Formats: sequence, C-alpha cells, structure tokens
Amino acid sequence: MGMHKKKTIHSVMFHVGACLLGFVMIYPLLWLLASSFKSNDTMFLNPYSLIPEVWDAAKNYASGLEGVGGVPFWRFLLNSFEVTIVGMVGCVLSSLFAAYAFARIRFRFGNFWFGCVMMTMMIPAQVMVVPQYIILKKLNLIDTKVALVLPWVFGGAFFIFLMVQFFQGIPRELDEAAEIDGCGRISTLFRILVPVVQPAIITSSIFAFYWIWQDFFQPLIFISSPENFTIPLALNMYLDPDSYNNYGGLFAMSVISLIPIIIFFIIFQRYLVEGIAMDGIKG
Amino acid sequence: MKRHEKFKRILPAALAGVMVLSMAGCGSDGKTGDAASGDAQPAAAGTDGTQAADVPADDQASADGENVVIKMTWWGGQTRHDQTQAVCDLYTSLHPNVTFELSPSGWDGYFDKLSTQTASGSMPDIVQMDYLYLTTYAKNNSLADLQEFIDNGTIDVSGIDENLLQTGSVDGKMAAMVLSTSLLNVGYNPAVLQEAGVEEPTSDWTWNDFVAMCETIQSKTDKYGVSMDSVADTNIFNYWVRQQGGSLFSDDNKSLGYEDDKVFVDFVTMWNDLMGKEAMPDPDEYAQIATLGQEAGPVVTGDAGAIIEWNNYASKVSTVNDSIKMVTPPLAEGSDTKGLWMKPGMFFAIAEKSTVKQEAAEFINWFINSDEANDIMMAERGTPVSSAVRQHLIDSGNLGEQQIAMFEGVEAAAALCGETPAPDPAGISEVNEAFKKAANSVYYGQASAEDAAAAFREEANAILARNN
Amino acid sequence: MLTPWLFGFVLMWLIPMIISIYYSLTDFNLLNTPSFIGLDNYVRAFTGDATFWQALKVTFIYVFFLVPLRLAFALFVAMLLNKDHRGLGLYRTLYYIPSIIGGSIAVSIVWKQIFGNQGVAMTLLGAFGIEQKTSFLGNTHTALGVIILMGVWQFGSSMLIFLSALKQIPGSLYESAMVDGAKPWKVFTKITLPMLTPTIFFNLILQIVNGFRVFTESYVITDGGPLDSTLSYVLYMYRRAFTYFDMGYSCALAWILVAIIGVFTVVLFKTQGSWVHYEAGRE
Repeated sequence: MGMHKKKTIHSVMFHVGACLLGFVMIYPLLWLLASSFKSNDTMFLNPYSLIPEVWDAAKNYASGLEGVGGVPFWRFLLNSFEVTIVGMVGCVLSSLFAAYAFARIRFRFGNFWFGCVMMTMMIPAQVMVVPQYIILKKLNLIDTKVALVLPWVFGGAFFIFLMVQFFQGIPRELDEAAEIDGCGRISTLFRILVPVVQPAIITSSIFAFYWIWQDFFQPLIFISSPENFTIPLALNMYLDPDSYNNYGGLFAMSVISLIPIIIFFIIFQRYLVEGIAMDGIKG
Repeated sequence: MKRHEKFKRILPAALAGVMVLSMAGCGSDGKTGDAASGDAQPAAAGTDGTQAADVPADDQASADGENVVIKMTWWGGQTRHDQTQAVCDLYTSLHPNVTFELSPSGWDGYFDKLSTQTASGSMPDIVQMDYLYLTTYAKNNSLADLQEFIDNGTIDVSGIDENLLQTGSVDGKMAAMVLSTSLLNVGYNPAVLQEAGVEEPTSDWTWNDFVAMCETIQSKTDKYGVSMDSVADTNIFNYWVRQQGGSLFSDDNKSLGYEDDKVFVDFVTMWNDLMGKEAMPDPDEYAQIATLGQEAGPVVTGDAGAIIEWNNYASKVSTVNDSIKMVTPPLAEGSDTKGLWMKPGMFFAIAEKSTVKQEAAEFINWFINSDEANDIMMAERGTPVSSAVRQHLIDSGNLGEQQIAMFEGVEAAAALCGETPAPDPAGISEVNEAFKKAANSVYYGQASAEDAAAAFREEANAILARNN
Repeated sequence: MLTPWLFGFVLMWLIPMIISIYYSLTDFNLLNTPSFIGLDNYVRAFTGDATFWQALKVTFIYVFFLVPLRLAFALFVAMLLNKDHRGLGLYRTLYYIPSIIGGSIAVSIVWKQIFGNQGVAMTLLGAFGIEQKTSFLGNTHTALGVIILMGVWQFGSSMLIFLSALKQIPGSLYESAMVDGAKPWKVFTKITLPMLTPTIFFNLILQIVNGFRVFTESYVITDGGPLDSTLSYVLYMYRRAFTYFDMGYSCALAWILVAIIGVFTVVLFKTQGSWVHYEAGRE
C-alpha cells in the first residue's frame, strides 16, 4: 500500500514537472497559434496575450491560403511534400548503404572517405551555395525541384555518421553468423541489421523530413519561379521591412506549414518506443 | 516459425524498397518535365548570352512582334507581388509578343540570390535595385548602360527631376532607372504634441527646436520625445554632415569626406543627451520597440512624439493611425546650407548580359510613365518619379489623404533640397555597420564620443580604400 | 554500397569544395572575375581583422557552454522519458517542438519579448527586487547567454538520439543487474553510460560541429549585436560573402573554420579508444 502511494506521488511529480517543462517548450508555438487568430491591427498592441482581443482567424487563414503572386498556397505545400518525401527516402537509404559500408566492409582509403563525410558536415553551407549553383546551372537544373532534392538524395554526413555509430553498437557475430548461413551483403543488411538499427533509421527519417521541409537557403538560391517555391520561400515572400506586412496571413501559413512536421513526428516517434530490442534476435 | 519471423522483418524493408523505386520514377518524371520547361526558356539563361548576342538583340525592336520573354525580379511584400503581377499581365495583354518570367522575393535573401545569379552569368533581365548596392553592381559591369535608351527616346525622362535621374548614374553610365523618390522627414503625432503643449513644427525649424520639443514632451507627458534608431544607417548622419557644408564621402570615395571629427561628436552627443534625459529610447529599449513592427511603434500608438523617417511613413502607418503628420527635418542653426536631397527610392536596372534590352527598356518606360500601370500600383513603391504621373494620381481621387500630403511634400521640399550626392560608394553596407558600432559604443557608455569618432574614421577609411 | 553517396559527394560537395578553396585564394566579390592573390585572404584574417577575432571568441564561448549543457540536459530528459509513464509520446513531441520551429520568425519575436527590455525575464527579476537598467539581450555581457540558453532550449534532436540509443540497450542487461540487486546509480554508471558512449561520442562531435557553425540564432535574435557581442563566426562569414561582397575572403574564413573543427574532431576520434565502448570492437 505504502509502496503504491509512493509510486503515485512519484508519478504526479513527474507529470507536473514534465508539463511545466512542456509549456516552456511549446510557448512560442502557442503564441504563433494565438497570433494567427488575431487581427493585423491589434496583433502587436498586446503581444503577450495568448487570447486574441479581436478575432480575425478566418481572414488571416483565407489570405494565407490565397497564396502570393497568383500561386495558391496549396501549390507551395505540394512542392514541399514532393521535395521532402523524395529527398528523405533517398537520403535515408543512401546513408544506410554508406554507413553499412563504413562500419562493416573493409576497403581501401576507408578512413579517408570517412574523413570526407565528416568534412561535408564541417563546411558552412553559405560558401558552398555559389559553386553548387554553378554546377546545377551547367546541368540545366536551376529552378527545378530536382535541384532541391539533389543535395539530399545521395545521403548526408549526419545520417551516415549516426548510423555508423549504431552499427558499431551491434556485435559483429550477428552478421557474421548470417553470412555463414549464406546471406549476401544486401540481405544481411536488410534482414539482420536494419531491424536492429530501426531507431536510428526512424530518427534519421524524422530529422531528414524536417530539415528538408524547413530548408530555406538552398531553395532561395536555386529556385526562381513561384510555381516551384517551397513553404519557407513562400513565407519569406510575405516579409518586407519597408512595406505593410500581412503578419496575420504569415502566421496562419506558418501554423499550417508546421502541421505536417508535427504529424510526421507524432506518427514516427511511436516506432522509437517500439524499437526492436536486441534480445529477440540473440535468442 | 523462425522463417516466418524473418519474413515479418523483411516485409517492411521490401515495401520501403518498392516505395523508393516508385518515388524514383516520380522523380525522373518530374525531371524530364522540368527540363522541358527549362528548354522553353530563352537562350539568355545559357552562358552564351554574352557580348556578341547583345548587338543584334538591340536591333529587333519589339514592334516586329518577335516573341520575347523578359525575366524580372524584385523584393517586396504581398501587395507589391500581387500588383506587379497584375501590371505585367496588363503589359502582356497590350503587347502579346512580350511575356514575363517573374521571381518575386522577400527582402531577406534577395541580394544573396541576385549576386549568386550574377556570379554565374544569369542575372534576370530586369532587376529591382537598391541604392545600397547600385555602385557595386555598376562598377563590376553587371548592369547595362541605359543612356542609349534615353537618347533614342525609348525611355522618356522628361517628367523626372534631373538631380534625381542622375542618382542612377555611376562613373558616367546610366546604370539604373530610378522609380520612386523619398525624402528624410520627421513624422509626428499631433495629439502627443498637443498634450505636451508643443506647437507643431514647420519647415523652418532647427535642431535646437527639435531637441527642445523632445525634452518638453518628455518632461510634460513622460513619453518619449522621439523614438527611433538614429544610427540604423548613415542617412541621417549624411544629412547632418551636408548641413555643415561637408559631404560624407570624398569625391574619389576612398575616404570620409568631412575633415573634422567634431561633426561626428556633435551628432552622437545630441542623441546621447536625449537618451540620458529619457527623451529617447536607448538602443536596448529601441530593440524591444522595433520587434513589434512599425505599425505598433510608439509614435503610432501615441507613446512618443516624433520619429525621423522617410516621407512615406504617414501613409504606411495610416491603416493603424491616420493622424500622423510629416514635416521636413530640422535645419542647422544659423546656416542656410541645403542638407536635404531627393533620395532615390528604388531602381530598375537591366542586366548587361540580357538579350532583350530594348524590350526591357520599353517596359520600364511604360512602368514609369503610363497612367494605366500606375493606376494599378498606386505609388506602392514610393512617390513616383514622374511629375505627370503624380498629378494623374492626385487627380484620380484614389489616393489616401496621407499619400496626397506626401506628393505635395515632395514638390514643396524641392526648395530645401541641395545637390544630390553621388551614389553611395561600394562598401557602404560595411561602413554603415562600422558607423552603427561606433555610435552604439557611445550610447552604451563604452567609449567617449571622441574615441568613437576616431575609431569610425579609421575603420571607414580602411573599408572605403579596400572597396573603391 | 558507397556508390550513391560517392556520386552525390563528388557532385555536390567535392567539386564545390575545390572551387571554394580556389575562391579563397582570390580577390572575388561575386560580380568580378576572381583574380589570384595567393594566401592574402588568410593573412588578412589573422593579422588585419579585429572582427574576425571577436567572432572567433564569441563562437568559442558559445561552443564551450552550449555543448555540455545541451548534452547533459538532453540525456537527463531522455532518461526520464525512457521510463514507463503515461503520455510519454506527448512529452516527447512537446520537447521536440522547439527544434522543429527553430529559427522561425515567431520564435525570434517571442524570445525578444521574453529577454528584451520590459520583457518577462526582467519583470520576474524585478519581482525579486533585482532592478536592471538594460535587458539581457541589450547587455553586451548577457546577450550571448540568452543565445546559449536558446541553444539549450532546442535540445530535442540530441534527446531523440539518446532516446533511440537507450532503446537499443538490451533489456537483459538490466534484468541481470536487477537480479544482482544493483542500485540505480550503479546501473546508470555501469550499464547505461558505457552502452551509451558511442552515442555520447556521436552527439559530442555533432554538437561541436554544429556549435561552431551557429548562425540562425544570432542572425534572427540579435543580428550579432549589441556591439558584436553575439556575432557568431558563420554570421560574420555570411556577411562578408553576401553583404560586403567579399566572397574570396569569406571562403578563406570558411576553410579556417573547417580546420578548427577538424582539429577538435580528430582529437576526439583519437581519444575515443580510451572511453568509447563499441560492441562490435574496433580494428
């Protein structure tokens, strides 16, 4: 009984603390949501308040969905989805292959290539964008969605490094046994290793999704036509410090653009929890 | 059993594999589609749009009805995007052979992208240009000389003030066509002034009057006399320097143009004293104010008396408060040197590598001078440069009260305007940053005004020498 | 296995890197033709540019404080969320949200409101009798602290990586420890921590690399001010490239940064043998 009570107190304390922290974490999002309901004129008169004085949600969301320069908002949304999904799937798979190679296969200059992976993580994107632009232009890919996918689809340093670390946490006997059983490399990877590193794959997918989704700088430089704009570019079009800014529409669009990432995260974080424990395989 | 287990694990992977394959299919479909539309673009996109191609392009006037595509880019907010789109659609309906490829953009990143495009030889045909960067682009021969289109009558500049027109001229080349004009003004909230018992300023007021007004407002109402960032850029300081008979930059743009650091010291000290008396927000307080955007600024909400701003300020905030009035900025004490000048607002420039220069110039002419284009834009880019267009817009009766006052203010201020200074030198944005840092070090109490003046001079001279 | 990555690497990274190294040896303002000037840009950075040293100092302080704080916090929360409680999925989502909304305009406005003049933070301190004239963001001594705090606030990614690694630890290890009657702290230091070392190592490298490349926070919140006290290295590099038309010099700055990060990374890789525990064993 006493034991049970202690457990309850613990649990209550945990939830109170977790909720408090949660509020601090989510406050800007609540603020964004509240502001997207406020009318443009009153938005900043009482900026702290999370409860709109003058409700203007319908107008804000309508003007947001209208889009900019004759291109409707759903077009931007669709572009973002296309680029993000193709980029994410390609990125995770390519990284998985590369990570497997680095972790399990001995090949010449292995360390050198791994150094190259690390290097791509270190160099700031801001100086790479001009040379990349020149290459994409030579390939006639400027102002196409292919240009947006290209930097991602062949894998990324972060993901390769993450998965290599996970592979190295797996006993080598596991795949050696599989190879003795006559499994090729591909089937060893997919049958034996992928289930074990599933949390890393899920984590990578979550990161890839939102990185590609919210990428601003590369689309900014590579894309010119509004028909090909992704969400962050569309949002940027709303802002000019020297003219009257439609903050209501901007915040409404921001809210809509965050929904897919949050849904994606909510769905996939479940698989993090249900990640297959290694015991099952060992036994 | 075990086999079954394995299958369960393979299945998701296999599904993922199929998904990828079908994605890849989508991807390559998209690619061919995009490439096809890419082909439809004019050869201007290629690297071959260089010297040789330009000459014949000029000969083919669009009167021939040859189909041309003009690529155009600008920065702005939603209103400007929608209006510019509409203007271009109208032009296409009047000239069916001319179509546009438009890339609207926010201010953020606009010039990052433009310089990247220029670096790889693919600047759009018509670009909206800012004074800040005009010289740099012009000096590097990225912009076409528009003088020939003025000379051959394609662009009619008869309605444009000569001084203003020349702001687009760099090193003897007409690098860009000015679209709009702006003036330094003081915007004030009459209600706040009345509350403090201060008379509304007139165009013959001086800096002493200005300081006295700010201090009175503070002491009578406990509100800010003036609420602004005095050193966000060098424009107000430039005005100050000109009033002392100097110029901010030397003729060769390789150093500062004023000799005596006292100019800088006096300027910074005036603001610093106002901050000390709480008649003006310090940079820290102002940073907080600026977060909320101009429409919620203290002058608009009645929590401050005045602000030095561009002359479109009242019209810009009129949606929130339509009682703000504008007046020309204070004169120097006991000096009749004309410090004020017609500042260009925005420019259109044509890319040196464009293959449709003639057509682009025709469009710019129509954009500046035609009633129908300006009826759509309603001076959204600032006071139009053409006096005929200004008159037309006033007559049309579609303008707001503040806009009419702004147009009339431009005519009235002409008497107070001196010679327009040469375009800002290359490296101006770095000079602005150095200026801000030097002045703020005084406001934060970390340096004396004298030391800051010397530091600014040293840094600015180094920047100017490197860039010009 | 390495082919997809290798293809992308050569196209989108290797060639641009070579081009940018070349730029770093030239006088290049983006609009002119680059002219070769040897090592002048590098010499200029080390001998004639006070802002370079200021930006370097700011960035080192940032990394020095951010990395341990963020990692400790992320690990702590991940451990809490690895227990069996109701509503864990919700908390995970809440805590990850700051990382999703990252550098958006809403976040920037909210942070400026909290730590700016008359903001919540000042009001709170005022309630405790601590009156301050300048705000946290307006004070050259504290502004960087706010930026670091914001970095810690975005601990979600590290937390996720820790979580997925915790899931990968075989439950059988804990079960046998339970049977032996080990205390929780002992379980943590003897089982959890060693099993996590590959992930800690990964997170450490990642946070150092990303910490040195910090850009968005100081760009969006303070724009480097007041008086350059939050001017991060990459923000300065970016300004050089695109605002001051100094691309050649900017590329030199980028490669100096790569060298600095590279030294840290290599040192960490060299020392990992002594503290990182890999199941697969290292060759």
